[in-house]
Amino acid sequence: MALIDKIPDEPAKSGEFILPELMAIQIAHQVRNDDIVFAGTGLPMVGIMTANMLNAPNALLIYEAGICDGKTMHVPMSVCDQRAANMSSSLGGLVDTFGFFLQQGFVSLGFLGGAAIDKYGGVNVTSIGDYWSPAHRFTGSGGNSDIGTLSKRVAYIILQEKRRFLERNEYTTTPGWWCWDFKKNEWRPKKEVWKGTPYADSGPVAVVTNMGVYKFDDKGEIFLETFHPGVTVEQIKENCGFDLNVKNVKGETKPPTYRELFVLREFVDAELIFLPQKVEYPASIQKIING
Amino acid sequence: MLKRGATKKARVMSLEEAVKTFIKDGCMIGFGGFTGFNRNPTAVAWEMVRQGVKDLHVMDRHGSVCTWMLNAVGAIKIYETDWMGWGEMAGKLDVNLERNYKAGKMILEDYSHGAMAMRFLAGAIGAPFIPYYAPLGSDLYNPKYDALGRAGLRGKNPKIPKLKFQEMADPFFGAGNVMLLPAARLDVAVIHVAQCGEKGTARWRGIGTIDKEICFAADKVIVVCEELVPEAELRKNPENNQIPYFVVDAIVECPWGGYPSSVPFYYDYDAPFMRVMDVASRNTEDLKKWVDDWVRGPKTWEEVMTKVGAKRLLDLKADSVTGYSTRIMRGKKPAPRMKMPLSVARSGY
Repeated sequence: MALIDKIPDEPAKSGEFILPELMAIQIAHQVRNDDIVFAGTGLPMVGIMTANMLNAPNALLIYEAGICDGKTMHVPMSVCDQRAANMSSSLGGLVDTFGFFLQQGFVSLGFLGGAAIDKYGGVNVTSIGDYWSPAHRFTGSGGNSDIGTLSKRVAYIILQEKRRFLERNEYTTTPGWWCWDFKKNEWRPKKEVWKGTPYADSGPVAVVTNMGVYKFDDKGEIFLETFHPGVTVEQIKENCGFDLNVKNVKGETKPPTYRELFVLREFVDAELIFLPQKVEYPASIQKIING
Repeated sequence: MLKRGATKKARVMSLEEAVKTFIKDGCMIGFGGFTGFNRNPTAVAWEMVRQGVKDLHVMDRHGSVCTWMLNAVGAIKIYETDWMGWGEMAGKLDVNLERNYKAGKMILEDYSHGAMAMRFLAGAIGAPFIPYYAPLGSDLYNPKYDALGRAGLRGKNPKIPKLKFQEMADPFFGAGNVMLLPAARLDVAVIHVAQCGEKGTARWRGIGTIDKEICFAADKVIVVCEELVPEAELRKNPENNQIPYFVVDAIVECPWGGYPSSVPFYYDYDAPFMRVMDVASRNTEDLKKWVDDWVRGPKTWEEVMTKVGAKRLLDLKADSVTGYSTRIMRGKKPAPRMKMPLSVARSGY
């Protein structure tokens, strides 16, 4: 029996894990075993790698710079890192990933970050304030607007603050379930704007923040599904710039299990590049690890 | 635009000569590799800063060590790209670029990564434009936000397209609306590869990003290599070569010329060094000092690498199996030794 199978798959208790770990595992839970995943640098990459070692071993991971089905031994710091290319099925370039894989419709899950999000899951990674003289100028789209609209399902990880959860973004890099019509100045459903294209039914399905996990309803509007341990629904509403739907809350976000934490800590980010620190295991778990 | 019949004869030359010959003030230029991490032609950007090349129109999919360095001295006037960062996990945003942009010193034209890839593909295959399902409803395709148009630059330089994009209903299959994107056309492309033959045939290992496309989309091509090898050697396994010699103009041999980015199977990226660059860029005084110390101070690229130091270079040296290094400290803990990725050990492929 491999060591990993001896680690109990039971939820860790408060204090035995940190928030970025909980978020990474929540990302991992979005990955299905038959997914073709296209994820961005940062926690999304860490989350999907964890999934690939646990709940979704057959998921195929695409890394933006041209990597198909990388099997990593060491956590990459970039989607072009040779570490991500390890034991991959094929290596190509951007035309492979954005053309052959993404636009061709192979990608079933895109996982991305964002600076701000609107209530329909539209994301801004470009600028805050006036576009021409912004208060903050971010990196801009990168692959965000491509992956965020051409993948079948899309999930985001975003820091939750009132100024980041908005009725409408000041600049929409990646539209969600509703698109802003520049000419008529009104919202129009993506299904209508994208009618006839192969991606009319593709869009955001989940958002993971530092406070909770969100899903989207039939109308394409975001709603709170679970709140993280130690966070109240009230606090979440205070950190949201629009009237958030909290009618469908299922309860608290499930904490990561010891086995999930073991994989994340020992096999994904053992070098502590993404995670700020390593929390000690409870004595009973450490005993199993020590053998 | 016709390039037919113009068989080029690549010349092996020094870094200094290649920059002096092919990179002019105001030219449209693109760099190979990927962000600040993979195969950046750093030595060329370094030499450009030293020669004082200015008013550049950089067309790239994203920032890199090259654009970071050129921005540090304000050499970029127009930046047509999709990602203004450079260092991902070692310094995401180019802080100095944001500063220059806010001060009105440069023009930024936003696209997306896929869109820029398609534009370079069109440029490479000689197509004037390419249809792409670039997101309808994104402000990237809001007619209001056309930076080159706003600056009155469209329709003058023949390489700058008259429009940023054109939306069009699919006339063949009726599959909704697509965006027509103009081909990316460059004056100069600069790439950094593992090996280059003396005739110009070039080979890299690892990912290809968009190096081949930018070479074919450019009038002049500079190939910097870790090793200049006999052309005959590369022709023993031509399936491993990516750049045919006839598009290459200049060949520059410059070992470690991609530093601090990685060249797979030669050396790893230097994340700690990139973090120092990122910190320096947060303050104009510190940035100036960094440029004096690392760009203007050393007289040759060899001197830059000597300054980096033997210990660091030993740590960065790639191992022959993985193509990267497990000795460099990238995070707070050293890299573990591993025999098999857990994902493979658990489930096979």
